[in-house]
Amino acid sequence: MTAVALLSLLVLGTGGDPGPLRMLGPAPKGEVRRVVTLTPSLTDVVLALGAGDRLVGVSRFDERSEVARLPRVGGFIDPSVEAVMALHPDLVLAEPGPGNRQAVERVAELGTPVLLLPLATVADVLAAERAAGKALGRAAQGEVLAKELEGTRARIRERSRGRKPVRVLLVYGFEPLVVAGPGGFADELLSDAGALNVAADAASPYPVYSVERALRSRPELILDAAMVSGGRDRLRELPGLAETRWASVPGQALLHPGPALGRGLEQLFALVHPEAAP
Amino acid sequence: MTTVAGPLPVRSGVRFTPARATLVLGGLLLLVVAALAASALLGEYPVQLSRALSDPASPDGRVLFGLRIPRAVLGALVGASLAASGSALQALLRNPLADPFVLGVSGGAALGATLALALGLQAVAGPSLFAFVGAVAAMALVLAAGRARSSPYAALLTGVVFNAFAAAVITCIKTLLTPDRLGEVLYWLAGNLGYERPRTLLVGGVLQLLALGLLWAESARLNLLSLGDDEAASLGVPVGRTRALVLLAASLSVAGAVALAGLVGFVGLIVPHLLRLWLGPDQRLLVPASALGGAAFLVLADAATRMLFPVFHAEPPVGVVTAVLGGPLFVWLLNRREHPV
Repeated sequence: MTAVALLSLLVLGTGGDPGPLRMLGPAPKGEVRRVVTLTPSLTDVVLALGAGDRLVGVSRFDERSEVARLPRVGGFIDPSVEAVMALHPDLVLAEPGPGNRQAVERVAELGTPVLLLPLATVADVLAAERAAGKALGRAAQGEVLAKELEGTRARIRERSRGRKPVRVLLVYGFEPLVVAGPGGFADELLSDAGALNVAADAASPYPVYSVERALRSRPELILDAAMVSGGRDRLRELPGLAETRWASVPGQALLHPGPALGRGLEQLFALVHPEAAP
Repeated sequence: MTTVAGPLPVRSGVRFTPARATLVLGGLLLLVVAALAASALLGEYPVQLSRALSDPASPDGRVLFGLRIPRAVLGALVGASLAASGSALQALLRNPLADPFVLGVSGGAALGATLALALGLQAVAGPSLFAFVGAVAAMALVLAAGRARSSPYAALLTGVVFNAFAAAVITCIKTLLTPDRLGEVLYWLAGNLGYERPRTLLVGGVLQLLALGLLWAESARLNLLSLGDDEAASLGVPVGRTRALVLLAASLSVAGAVALAGLVGFVGLIVPHLLRLWLGPDQRLLVPASALGGAAFLVLADAATRMLFPVFHAEPPVGVVTAVLGGPLFVWLLNRREHPV
């Protein structure tokens, strides 16, 4: 039984669809003036829509200075229903996940509209920008944000065309080795930037990867997006990675699926194809 | 968990009389009611009681009736289950270290829930259902494989071994999980009281009522069983049947509790021991007293987690609070009560 379970685990990867973009609870009445976001990426979306003054609460992982003074309502998997309700929001923006499902459903049942916005892929991000824009009465700005990202993608793809693909390993953490696998926004942006994701054979968008497999895949460029540097030097000293180029991904543009992805993509292209710099 | 067998740490205790039992249980019931009331009044949302009671559809009313009270009831159910089962199992297995999870129930439940979370089966049902199925399966395995009827130690050892096996498999699954999914598994395993629907609470409540009722009904025979199998048999106790019934009732009760709240530790160990220090080892009193004491303890511990939210911007798992509050309290009381005797 255990073997079968583990096998299916490997085949299915992380499994579980977070569910589509959808509204839970009642539709917002009138203009939305009080917004709570449950993940930093969605805070970014609201700020980019120019609606930052309507934010009344954010997650405890939000670090941007614009929301430093706002009350915290918990984390991505453990938002506090009471803390959300206490802020009397007329819209809650959340990224759906199995961990927060019960809390989010309860918020909606108690009469607060919840807009669930998956953010796994670039298409998700584009849809989230448009849907959040519409919900906040800023549909035009939402469209502008989405068009901007689409435009950046088209431009970078054009610049990548004809260049020799660079074999890239994008690293989120060293101990354990967590990399960008297939099926997520990072993999899509890598492809846009003319990179070949050497971890595209992994089981999920954020797999814990084998160090030996990483060596065997002969990356030409290792992109370091890890927030903790522990274990980096040990990986760096491994034979086979000595000639590999290493580069740090600046800022968090590639970590938060949101309006910053366009900027992240441009940075990514510059790192993958430094020879293309004007 | 080691398997040290020995006398339970008790004093002679109060003698069981119906009047005394009524007094003790009545007092504990009042404590439960007070804990429920306190829990209903504490939290992040500033509930105005007058507004909530006069207009249940108001935001205050919805928070009180839709969030606080269901969560307090959940805490009471889980606490009662863990403490009463702990008390019965400590007597049945003649082991003061027995806790409700010792018979493999925790391993089975954790394995079920971890698999559900890892495979993304939430679309089918929450991890609760899979935890319950896992717990019942583990219980069946332990009862079948451990020759539970013939010796208390066989069931105990099988349970401990099964828990170790399950822990190893869970560790293996954890290494295969992505960090976000791992966070969910760890959060579930730590033990949390969430917001269950009234229907779920009703099903859980009926299950607990039946299981704990059965434990109480068997409590007089449980007393005799603690004398030893031969002595109990010579006094007319059907040893095998009683042992199987108590194991079944306790395991079902704990399976239900774990499914609703994850692995809330310590309640099943310290509440029965505290009450045994006070009331003595008579299970006729100790089983219902533990149920009430466990309910009050967990409801208060859960209220404490909500009060900690402004500090951490997160509610620590209630299992953490029960251990942090309960551990030192228990050691202190044990030393205070044991030395003069």
